[in-house]
Amino acid sequence: MATAEQQRPRVLDLLVPAPSVKACCHSGGGVGGGPEAPVVALVGAPNTGKSTLFNALTGARVTMGNWPGTTVEVSRGLWKTTTAAATCTCDECTCDDAEQRLDITLVDLPGAYSLDPHSPDEELTRQLLVGVPDDERPDLCVVACDASRLANSLYLVAQLRERRLPILVALTMVDVAAKRGITVDPATLSQALGCPVVAIDPRRRAGLEALAAAVRDGLGGPAPAPRPVPSTTDQLELDDDRFGWIAGAVAAGTSAPAEHARTFSDTVDRWVTAPVLGPLIFLGVMWLVFQITTAVAAPLQDLLDGLFAGPVSDGATWLLGSLGLGGSWVEGLVVDGLIAGVGMLLTFVPLMTLMFVLLALLEDSGYLARAAVVTDRLMRAIGLPGRAFLPLIVGFGCNVPAISATRILPSARQRVLTALLVPFTSCTARLTVFVMLGSVFFGPYAGTAVFAMYVVSIHLVVLAGLVLRRTLWRTMGTDPLIIDLPAYQVPTLRLTASVTWVRLKGFLQTASGIIVATVCAVWLFQSIPTQPGQAFGEVPVAQSAYGVAAQAITPVFAPAGFAQWQTTSALVVGFVAKEAVVSSWAQTYALEEPSGADPGSLGERVRSDFDASSGGHPVPAALAFMVFLLAYTPCVATLAAQWREIGPKWTLFGVAMQLATAWLLAVAVFQVGRLFW
Amino acid sequence: MSAAPATGGPLSLVLAEVRAGTPTVAGIALRSGLDESVVRAAVDHLVRSGRIESRELSIGCPPSGCGGCASATDGAPGCGLPAPVPGRRPGLVTLTLSRR
Repeated sequence: MATAEQQRPRVLDLLVPAPSVKACCHSGGGVGGGPEAPVVALVGAPNTGKSTLFNALTGARVTMGNWPGTTVEVSRGLWKTTTAAATCTCDECTCDDAEQRLDITLVDLPGAYSLDPHSPDEELTRQLLVGVPDDERPDLCVVACDASRLANSLYLVAQLRERRLPILVALTMVDVAAKRGITVDPATLSQALGCPVVAIDPRRRAGLEALAAAVRDGLGGPAPAPRPVPSTTDQLELDDDRFGWIAGAVAAGTSAPAEHARTFSDTVDRWVTAPVLGPLIFLGVMWLVFQITTAVAAPLQDLLDGLFAGPVSDGATWLLGSLGLGGSWVEGLVVDGLIAGVGMLLTFVPLMTLMFVLLALLEDSGYLARAAVVTDRLMRAIGLPGRAFLPLIVGFGCNVPAISATRILPSARQRVLTALLVPFTSCTARLTVFVMLGSVFFGPYAGTAVFAMYVVSIHLVVLAGLVLRRTLWRTMGTDPLIIDLPAYQVPTLRLTASVTWVRLKGFLQTASGIIVATVCAVWLFQSIPTQPGQAFGEVPVAQSAYGVAAQAITPVFAPAGFAQWQTTSALVVGFVAKEAVVSSWAQTYALEEPSGADPGSLGERVRSDFDASSGGHPVPAALAFMVFLLAYTPCVATLAAQWREIGPKWTLFGVAMQLATAWLLAVAVFQVGRLFW
Repeated sequence: MSAAPATGGPLSLVLAEVRAGTPTVAGIALRSGLDESVVRAAVDHLVRSGRIESRELSIGCPPSGCGGCASATDGAPGCGLPAPVPGRRPGLVTLTLSRR
């Protein structure tokens, strides 16, 4: 069993100062400088190079252990210093060596940013520095300060200087600071701080002699007078005073010439985050993304379309025919349903891949951080909560996680408002429909048409937000967004490929599941007869349950120019999932044609129907359809997410708002558009 | 946006700029006349002292993994990735004023 003596805290032993702390050639040896050796505490914020300095000063003469009663690790070591004989001031010896030795017990205290503890480590550091009687404190504190982040390191110095403690600042990371164009003048900084400052580089063992000399001087002299502090109990006022002192010291002791301080990133940021030019650049970049995506992917998309419509469908038809299933409902389901639907999805793989690659490049390069600044400024200007930026950005990928991401908003009102706005962000599922209609109706301007939908989407978010803020949530405050912009970087191939693959895989997994299920459901409803004498699976689509239901709602869309049941039925399918809109079209048109007839391409059939329903104005009708598709309920999964996050009342309110907005906008677009096209 | 008050120490100036909606550290430094490193240190201090809350957005992975992701839901990170990407650089951070 350990004796009481053995149980005494080892570090505390070391921190009890020797009767005389004068520098003396007779100090003890061993790990730690013996009972009479002066004790120097090494303190500083984490990652300031404190432990590197400790290792450089003590070498292998170190013991480590947990502070008794805690799991906090404290190291102590022997720091052997030498000095000129004349500095030995003790009475008992008659030293005549050219150099005399002073052994110092160096204690590496846990990293602490301040004397206001937030962890057991910081609590111990505080306790050992200021929580013990004066005669049990270390004889001197060496505060390691990172010269490249000097202001962050000086808060602890500011607090220590408020007490009568002998302290010394060891400036580390001077080389890193120099690379950033920051030069530190130790002498001037020393004057500003009121304590010695020594620049060191422990990794190269530079400046250690000067540090030893400064420590010996500090051990021999009186502690500097404490820095005056305002007589207040207000913590912010006290902290403000400390930061004023820090700002003064940084201004006096450091210099960062403007020509060196302005980096490439700073120069670019002046333009890309500018109040007017920034949003324009953002729009330009996004236009370029969609233009590249549609232009480059179009030939590949046509190739895949031809592959599925031709050889794959023909092969499946031949195979089913040879199995005796030709002309049966199985052929209808497999060829007109699954192959047409899934094949249509696969034609979008090149497009989605390209878009994910471009977005990953923007993200990895650091540009999206700038886009956040631009977007946030816009949102704040119109009174929306700044932090709603995240869910809305996520919404451009998929609305479902975006609804869930509203949880980061602190207030319930902000969560509800943002969850109501998210469905107006154009998700990637809608992109497939936009791209198809864009290439059918706008040819070489397909990219611009798709881009326009994203611009409309942003405007919808803004306008709907403004309306709701002016009506339902007039008293809601806004939260600020502060971004420390990272430097621009060259995107890495590995990361870009990894992010692209993960997102593409996710899209395909989700979409393929939805499409197979929807294709089966659509096939089922298209097989159900509505008139007597018709057999299941042998009914014209227009007379099936699917066609009849679609025809019932079609007149509603007459003012919008797309009152054709084949079109409106796709909207019903799109209510379930936007991924299935194009595949349902493919399925419907394939079934409509009598066997053996050339149905023409899907695009031609869609254009023909829009032409018929719009009275000869297919382009504005297509635009109206795209706007409706953008604004109405994204999918049932989004509804489920809203139901969970904001409850049934607000979810139903949102559905009504989306449908009303979508219809009104579509009608407006068509009615105005047909005056010009 | 209203300008920051001319009086007060660096922390008050930074807080005023945050309230006024200045969105970047560089912008706060420019408007307040403070050194950028002092602004960065002041923001860190305000976060540490609980006067503003800091949350990392989904563009970067938090050091604590997906469980600490701001947009994580039901254990799945909002970015759609199955796990933090090794070597992923830190991303955007939102700072929110606390009611103090």
